[in-house]
Amino acid sequence: MNTTQRLTFVTLSWLMLATATTPALAQASSSRIADLEAKMNAMAAELAVLKEELAAAKASGDSANLQAMQADINAAKQIAERATQSANEWKDVTSVTHLSGYASADYVSPENGNAAFIANFNPMFHFLLNDKLLWEAELEIEVEENGETAIGLEYTTVDIFLNDSMTLMAGKFLSPVGNFRQNIHPSWINKLPSAPPGFGHDGAAPISEVGLQLRGVAPVGDNSRFTYAAYIGNGPKLEGEDGEIHAIEAEGFAGDPDDEKVFGGRVAFLPIPQLELAVSGAFGNAAVVENDGVDFEGDPTRDYKVLGFDASYRWNDLDLRGEYIKQEVDPQEMSVAPEGGKWETWYAQGAYKLGQGKWEGVVRFTDFNSPHPDDSQEQWAFGVNYLITPSAMVKIGYEANDGLAGEITDDDRWIAQIAYGY
Amino acid sequence: MKIKSLSAISGITIVAIFISATMSLQQPATAAETTATAQNDPMQFARGAKAWADTCARCHNMRDARSLRDDQWRAAMAHMRIRAGLTAKETEDILAFLQGSN
Repeated sequence: MNTTQRLTFVTLSWLMLATATTPALAQASSSRIADLEAKMNAMAAELAVLKEELAAAKASGDSANLQAMQADINAAKQIAERATQSANEWKDVTSVTHLSGYASADYVSPENGNAAFIANFNPMFHFLLNDKLLWEAELEIEVEENGETAIGLEYTTVDIFLNDSMTLMAGKFLSPVGNFRQNIHPSWINKLPSAPPGFGHDGAAPISEVGLQLRGVAPVGDNSRFTYAAYIGNGPKLEGEDGEIHAIEAEGFAGDPDDEKVFGGRVAFLPIPQLELAVSGAFGNAAVVENDGVDFEGDPTRDYKVLGFDASYRWNDLDLRGEYIKQEVDPQEMSVAPEGGKWETWYAQGAYKLGQGKWEGVVRFTDFNSPHPDDSQEQWAFGVNYLITPSAMVKIGYEANDGLAGEITDDDRWIAQIAYGY
Repeated sequence: MKIKSLSAISGITIVAIFISATMSLQQPATAAETTATAQNDPMQFARGAKAWADTCARCHNMRDARSLRDDQWRAAMAHMRIRAGLTAKETEDILAFLQGSN
């Protein structure tokens, strides 16, 4: 290969490299980027050789060839600079978009009834501007029994970082009351294939809220800290059925039919990083806005209260956590559902990793009490997990359930799940 | 105090905070700035490693630094700053550790 051919080769290579490092292809893996860097280094070496040859040509006095070579080298330099700029472009952007989330595929086999496959997909979106503002959102997509696809907006908030330790959030957010719903429920984080009874929909724990939330942290010394969250939101809806409160729907609504806001929050203390102790709650008013499956207006408001405690502790491969939460509404004589109600649940869970963190055993006890006996349930849950990676795992779980005889809450069941957080 | 009055006072306070916070968004920050900070503070990597070990496993398994690209970690850490109750400085330390280990 003569000098001109080699120059052409180098120039074309730089062109290909510049193209390969454009933002459109920035989704390449780390190994791909390392490969590109290696190629850049190789071509830089090639360029150095060309420079040496140019110097040699200068010494020989071939002026026409010298000018041609100099022009080629200048062109190659410009292409190299552009390629370098493209490769480093991501470091200088003021906004970042990131697609994340988690998904799971389950096989549920109850003691009575038919076994079935289930699938869930929860994509999460992060849009970061100037490291000062984050817009985040999560969708909850699942296949229903009738084959239709249910899509829900789990949360969507604009988060403004006010200072070093405080963030203001606006939008629909996961309830900061308790810990399971806001931090532990994603399938790749929850160590068992199912949520503890009472921590799902229409249970004892609020799911989400629409409003404003202020969150922050207050370090105390080198190892201790307080974290806090306070919010104001539209509050829950009460669902009446057959003259009683069927459920408190605390799932974040854009409307506020009872025109009464709810206040709540959580304060946690971490005396050491491995131990977290927290108390949380909410208060406000709520009213029946749906009765016997039909929208209902004019029902008088009543007091609504939530109280929760949660704790977690880690020691090497041992992970312990527990949570108590109670959600209640007072009686209201003038209502279509005059009686009040209290939904209360607690769980304690222990998990231990074995086999260099590849295997994990889990046991959990939950006691959920509802005003409706057919919803109340005691549950022992046992699980064995195999971690393919820290965020991808296969879980096998068995639930020994004790509920009202003849109800599904009394059915023991096996659950196999593949979960992946990406 | 009635809940409606409390709502009004809270609403005004929060809107005021929101407006002042929006004004603070004018200052740009980039990954290059984070890298420059890391170069000026050689202990940042070590602090980030400790904060990462102390914080992440509180809720979930520790993910490999190579599971995301450097720019993806930047957005992911902004999300985790809120979830895990981290200061901005701790977030930058962990980000420097993850990007340095990637």
